[in-house]
Amino acid sequence: MRKTILTTTALGALLLGAAPVLAEGSINVLTWEGYADPSFISTFEEQSGCKVNATYVGSNDDFAPKMMAGGGVYDLITPSIDTTKLMIDLDFVEPLDTAMIEGWNDIYPKFLALDGIQKDGEYYGMPYSWGAIAFMYRDDAFTTPPTSISDLWREDLKGKISLWDDKSAIYVAARKNGDMDIYNLSDEQIAAAQAALVEQKPLIRKYWATAGELVDLYKAGEVVISNTWAGYQSSLLAAEGVKVTEFIPTEGAEGWLDSWMVVKDTPNKECAYKFLNMQLSELGQCGVANVNGYSAANASAAKSCMTPEQFAALHQDDPTYLDSLLIWTPLGDRFETYTNAWNAVKAQ
Amino acid sequence: MNLIRRNLPGALVVGIPVLWIALFMLLPYGIIVTYSFWLKKYPTFVPAFQFGNYVTIFTDPQYLQVFLRTLKISILVSIASFLLAYPFAYYLVFRCRSAALRTWLYMAVIAPLWVSYLLRAYIWKTILGTEGVLNSFLISVGIIDQPSDIFLYNQFAMVVTLTYIFIPFMVMPIYTALEKIPVNLSEASADLGMGPWRSFWHVTLPLSLPGVAAGFTLTFCLSFGDFIAPFLVGGPDGNLIANVIATQFGAALNWPLGSALAIVMLVVVLTIVSLSDRMERKGMVGGH
Repeated sequence: MRKTILTTTALGALLLGAAPVLAEGSINVLTWEGYADPSFISTFEEQSGCKVNATYVGSNDDFAPKMMAGGGVYDLITPSIDTTKLMIDLDFVEPLDTAMIEGWNDIYPKFLALDGIQKDGEYYGMPYSWGAIAFMYRDDAFTTPPTSISDLWREDLKGKISLWDDKSAIYVAARKNGDMDIYNLSDEQIAAAQAALVEQKPLIRKYWATAGELVDLYKAGEVVISNTWAGYQSSLLAAEGVKVTEFIPTEGAEGWLDSWMVVKDTPNKECAYKFLNMQLSELGQCGVANVNGYSAANASAAKSCMTPEQFAALHQDDPTYLDSLLIWTPLGDRFETYTNAWNAVKAQ
Repeated sequence: MNLIRRNLPGALVVGIPVLWIALFMLLPYGIIVTYSFWLKKYPTFVPAFQFGNYVTIFTDPQYLQVFLRTLKISILVSIASFLLAYPFAYYLVFRCRSAALRTWLYMAVIAPLWVSYLLRAYIWKTILGTEGVLNSFLISVGIIDQPSDIFLYNQFAMVVTLTYIFIPFMVMPIYTALEKIPVNLSEASADLGMGPWRSFWHVTLPLSLPGVAAGFTLTFCLSFGDFIAPFLVGGPDGNLIANVIATQFGAALNWPLGSALAIVMLVVVLTIVSLSDRMERKGMVGGH
């Protein structure tokens, strides 16, 4: 009897000791590399007792197929603003209880006004980080720095040009053609953009598909000019000792915004909201800024955790910069026309 | 009960393959066929029975273009593999005197199959690149004085890479076919006054044709379905049919069209396999 009591007490103690971790459980996030970086996620795991398992996507096109094939596996996802609407329309995500998210009101109003993260007056996405699809060149390849998208069509750079293998190629070509309303292009304008891309094709060394691939292309001396995810590839290249400069062309640049979305009927809601709160706090906002070089969606958190230099470099204090960006917009039923045009270019 | 026990081994012998075929062939192909009649509709696609996807494939020139390119690359890879593999296999079977050397050389062809496909494809990037091994070599021996960019990110690089990766599938069947040819046949041919070239042309080559056909089929079909080489070493004009299918299942979110493309591809591959099968059987009938 005595022995039994002892055993029970010991077991109880064990269970109690383990209880906080067990009760909180774990969350699976489907996200971009860097968004669940150990440099700040391990702090979160210690504080919250929620274990974070991250799966990484290479492109926004990965979210829908992954969610369609493996529904119920993930608790949180971070599609960009051109894909968030699709997630809502596919019924993969649930409305957010914004009252449970501290710092919600510190998010840039411009982001909260975006249509892509809302439906029927409810928010489905929590803006997290943003940036520009800037252009980039290798310093040692230019005496006069390039300033325009047309520089990606220059004959003398033949075989040294790269472009992102994405429907955004249509956005780039349309702006070169002078069609600035890039998310509402008519069929004729899309056809013109397609023609411009076909014309550019002989000059292209390689269309880049992943961030790592673009870095490799610059490092190996294969390309000298391309578009890029501002802040990310350039800092990877700087770390490799390759000198590149980012620029916003005279035709403007697209802007992107990534938002955290909660997968419908997740059983780990408690951890999911703890995670959302952390990501919008200084820990998460500066975490991603330091790892990926992206700008933060919560300006006041950014102000308190960034150095003034970083704050300025990431354009956090510069509303006109944000306003100048053509923020990605869901294309809805025009999506197919855009992707089809881009596929036709690649088929040539 | 007794009846079941007595018939169990027989049932297993028939049952497992039938189950296998049903589970791993009929079911997935059935799903793909079903999808191919569905309709793309935002946000995804809806069940339907219509031939629109097939009509698109045969009317939109982009699919024919990619299809012809894939055909061209696969044929070039098969021919390149054949030209390299045949002399090699011939040497191993008829000329190599040392059994140990023969084993080593044969293993040298097979061993790369144990290395990850991705790694082997990736290595060609470092060989063919502008600052790669090949360029450094050509500059150091003075053939060129500027690094050339003509080796990588084009169809040439794709053919080289795919040939390297799939050549074991050409060597193995040819080696086996040549090994089966009795040596006394070419001796008899020599006794009857045929020179070595004519002996080869009239005796050895025809007898090895089943192996050649098998090799062509394997390398062709493998290249035809490849989508990694275009991604790694192909250039802007390197899109193959498998890449287009991958795009339809990913970026375009058009599984119906992707499925229809997969079915068309399957029909092509099955046609080639059955043609080659007929040829192999004919070769065997003629040979024995």
